[in-house]
Amino acid sequence: MAVSTLTYGQRLDALRAAKLEQTREKQEVLGAMDHDDWAVVLPPPELREVIDAISGSGEPITDCIFKGWHPQSNHPSGGFFGPRAVGDNYRDFLEHHPVYIDPNSSLAGAYMFNFMSYRKPYWNPDFDYSHLQPDQEKYQLIHGIGGSQHFCQDLQIGLDLGWQGLLEKIRHYRKLNYPHGHDFYHGIGSVVHGVQDWIRRHADAARAMAGEETNPALRQNLEEIAAMNAHLVTEPPRTFREACQWILWYQMVARMFNGSGSLGQLDVLLAPYYERDTAAGLLTDEEAIFHIACLLLRDTAYIQLGGPDADGRDVTNHVSYLVLEAGHRLGIPANIGVSVGEGIDPGLLERGVEIIVGDRHGYPKFLGSDHVVAGTVRNGVPLEAARQRTYSGCHWSAIPGREYGLMDIVKINFGAVFNVALRDMLAGERAPHTLAALWESFVHHLARAVAVVAEGLDVHMAHMHEVFPELVLDLCCHGPIEKGLDASHGGVEFYLLGVDGAALATVADSFAAIEQRVVREGRLTWEDLLRHLDADWAGPDGEKARLMMSSVPRFGHGNTPADDYARRISEAFSALVTAKPTPAGFRMVPGLFSWALTIAMGSRLGATPNGRRAGEPISHGANPHPGFRKDGAPTALAVAVAAVQPGYGNTAPLQIDLEPSIASDEAARSQIASLIRTHFDLGGTQINMNVLDTQKLLEAYEDPSKYPDLVVRVTGFSAYFSSLSPEFRKMVVDRVLAAESA
Amino acid sequence: MIRGTVFDIQRFSVHDGPGIRSTVFLKGCSLRCFWCHNPEGIRPQPEIQFEPDKCIGCGECVVVCPQGAQHLDGTRRIFERDRCDACGQCVETCYAGALSLVGRAMAVEDVLAEVMQDRPFYDSSGGGVTLSGGEPVLQTGFARALLARLQAGGVHTAIETAGYYPWERLETLLPHIDLVMMDLKQMDSARHRAATGAPNERILETARRLAQTAIPVIFRVPVIPTVNDTPGAIRAIAAFVGELSALRGAALPLELLPFHRLAESKYTSLGREYAARSLPASVENFAELQTVVQEYGF
Repeated sequence: MAVSTLTYGQRLDALRAAKLEQTREKQEVLGAMDHDDWAVVLPPPELREVIDAISGSGEPITDCIFKGWHPQSNHPSGGFFGPRAVGDNYRDFLEHHPVYIDPNSSLAGAYMFNFMSYRKPYWNPDFDYSHLQPDQEKYQLIHGIGGSQHFCQDLQIGLDLGWQGLLEKIRHYRKLNYPHGHDFYHGIGSVVHGVQDWIRRHADAARAMAGEETNPALRQNLEEIAAMNAHLVTEPPRTFREACQWILWYQMVARMFNGSGSLGQLDVLLAPYYERDTAAGLLTDEEAIFHIACLLLRDTAYIQLGGPDADGRDVTNHVSYLVLEAGHRLGIPANIGVSVGEGIDPGLLERGVEIIVGDRHGYPKFLGSDHVVAGTVRNGVPLEAARQRTYSGCHWSAIPGREYGLMDIVKINFGAVFNVALRDMLAGERAPHTLAALWESFVHHLARAVAVVAEGLDVHMAHMHEVFPELVLDLCCHGPIEKGLDASHGGVEFYLLGVDGAALATVADSFAAIEQRVVREGRLTWEDLLRHLDADWAGPDGEKARLMMSSVPRFGHGNTPADDYARRISEAFSALVTAKPTPAGFRMVPGLFSWALTIAMGSRLGATPNGRRAGEPISHGANPHPGFRKDGAPTALAVAVAAVQPGYGNTAPLQIDLEPSIASDEAARSQIASLIRTHFDLGGTQINMNVLDTQKLLEAYEDPSKYPDLVVRVTGFSAYFSSLSPEFRKMVVDRVLAAESA
Repeated sequence: MIRGTVFDIQRFSVHDGPGIRSTVFLKGCSLRCFWCHNPEGIRPQPEIQFEPDKCIGCGECVVVCPQGAQHLDGTRRIFERDRCDACGQCVETCYAGALSLVGRAMAVEDVLAEVMQDRPFYDSSGGGVTLSGGEPVLQTGFARALLARLQAGGVHTAIETAGYYPWERLETLLPHIDLVMMDLKQMDSARHRAATGAPNERILETARRLAQTAIPVIFRVPVIPTVNDTPGAIRAIAAFVGELSALRGAALPLELLPFHRLAESKYTSLGREYAARSLPASVENFAELQTVVQEYGF
């Protein structure tokens, strides 16, 4: 191309097109990707090896690993465990990781592999928890042992020190604490060495590429990349662009290490650089937006815009709007949340609604600051710290650098607990059976499930540091380097372990169906019900019974027994989780979220009395079942989900899908803003929203290749619709269709 | 205790007045517009809707119907509507949802329990509750009781009406109404009668009387092919609303509503003929007609 100048718009177009092509290639090589669009770039074909692996959230995925690279094992099982082995292997991994530079981007680097996929076995078998397994299987618990990341670092630490500064800090405390933490300091130091090598090779490559580049604009860009990264190998960033590059390196290293996607308050982190550079005439808004876009392109990190500082003052600044703008111009999957609440700039909400309605990419999300803060305080966290809890994951927040939470990992499927409870009650001697007895049995088994989770968490907390320590996140936390202790093992200040419940609507509707059809109307006996459940509703009799049970008014309708049950279940769950800490003394925090496991958890669950067939998806998060109201009213949805909030600062997000016709003019946008604000006033904590053209969605469902750039918010994360498996696409489509007005 | 016959309550209505609203649909109408989008609101009594596609052939309704109106002949389902008195027993046994009862008696308390759930949204969005139907003014006593209670509770009230009833009926409701949305269809009375079953004099009179009150009014024209989809017909209505504005001493809003055929399946399920079947699916010259309205300053 013989153009002598390239606008940022042109460069962004080229970068976006490259991403779509990379996505298409990923779909071909990896098949369905039912998770975040991780912005991972496929390596050159000669370096690809496709395998089955486990994701950072503990679920099976198809992954592409680094052909020809293997970790060194330090255990008879063939795995590698502990800070020394993990750190050295990761250093080696980074030192072999290819260079990636797109001359159109103002930032260097892309990540290609998941280090986690080499964690085989995932957990050191020496740390046995087989005594817990019978109950874990009985209740189909996702117990979280071996779970990784899912807390947030404080990037300010790294931005202040730079990589050499971090190395010096490590050396300083290693000497101070010697011999304590000997292996830990070795491992974490190895990671830094690996990162520096990776960055240095990019600086060198950029210099070489600049020498070959004929386009003057791109040549200049490459020279800048080379100079900037030569500096960043050791030194802290000096400019806005360098800060973006530093953050990107850290993000990619964290993402590759164990899937961490937490970033935090990007607007606060970048603001000082923005102010200095613009005051000195070195940066325009267009340039700033471009740099942010280049950052967002390489990782779909979780970001919070606006929100309270420790003193309760809103941190929204000009950079907050620049970040929103960058996401808007990119139009790719992004996990950026806009804060909404008392004293927070209402312009953020307004602009957020404008973007989500206009762009239809499920971006941004909306964060209910007030109740997240108020709930967090109830765990004994001081108000100043609670206010700093930052949105940094699918449905969760964490205090940057100071809190370890294992968020969004542990899941209790209420449906599994219910099925055990129902059979236990019916097998007991007492008859006639009553609803009260069923409820008692459910609470009893739920308590047991929570207790088993608690014991499992203690196993995790005791041993994770010597299985797979959080070496990358440790770098930017307050405490681990100072104390020589992994974040999972006492390195940080706050421990709030997240325990999520799922299948709330499935169980609430089941209770209500039994109450109406079995107890009040007597149309079905308990024994008949059990027979139908065991047979998965087989036969014409079974189908009739199934329809009879599923036609009872559902949670979400409002003012029905199912609504009452949903509230009671949520309250009972919160009470059980917060009643006491784990035996080792860790506080657990309740949430309601199924993440992308709605399908997986459903596939393992037998038929349930709400008319659900065996293997079908469970209800989504805290949401009512699709079809809960003929009019599918968003207000009914908002009221229902607000009423079942766990109340301790972890969220129960509202998942809502709207048709664009609802939002085709300014009045309708203002109504959506009211809907969001009021949901938060009523107690809500987070909103994941899609404004979707149903027709387009249905066409994409038939033929995903027709709209390769269609982005949907699946749950907490967003993804390309065409990257999802048929089951996941169906889940989104069913939800959207059911939400359409009658 | 006053009960009304309600056939639907829709939450998050965004096209039935300002802000986020709930719309309460009252059954029974004094017109017979052949294109009606809510045919289940025409007759005042509860009636049965039958959707054969949902039927699973279980035969429960056949057994339970006191009038013998339901039949199952092999797999073929027959519903003898003439025999049906809408007792609703078949509906109770139809878990497949093929049979449903449209229109049920509700006390004011019942409606309030439903619509007040969204009170926080009315407050935050400048919304409220809209009465619609059918023709809500016909259930005058019930409408009045409901509107009065809503008003007393500080909820903004609106009503969608066609204006075909003695003025006194609407007059008694006005003290409790914040906004009237009134339909105007055709200035030519003979053409009006052909399309809706009634001449338009009384309707125009209602409009004139409304103009002479202080109550906020929005006039709306459902634009229907073959009925009023010409510039001439729209111009005539716009001129009329211009007169009404002069009477009021202030500009009264006029909006056009586009026709759609999404209601077709409702007719089938109610056992009614869909007279609008032969009409085009939409109004093609809608933009042109809106320009006509704009020329009048609306």
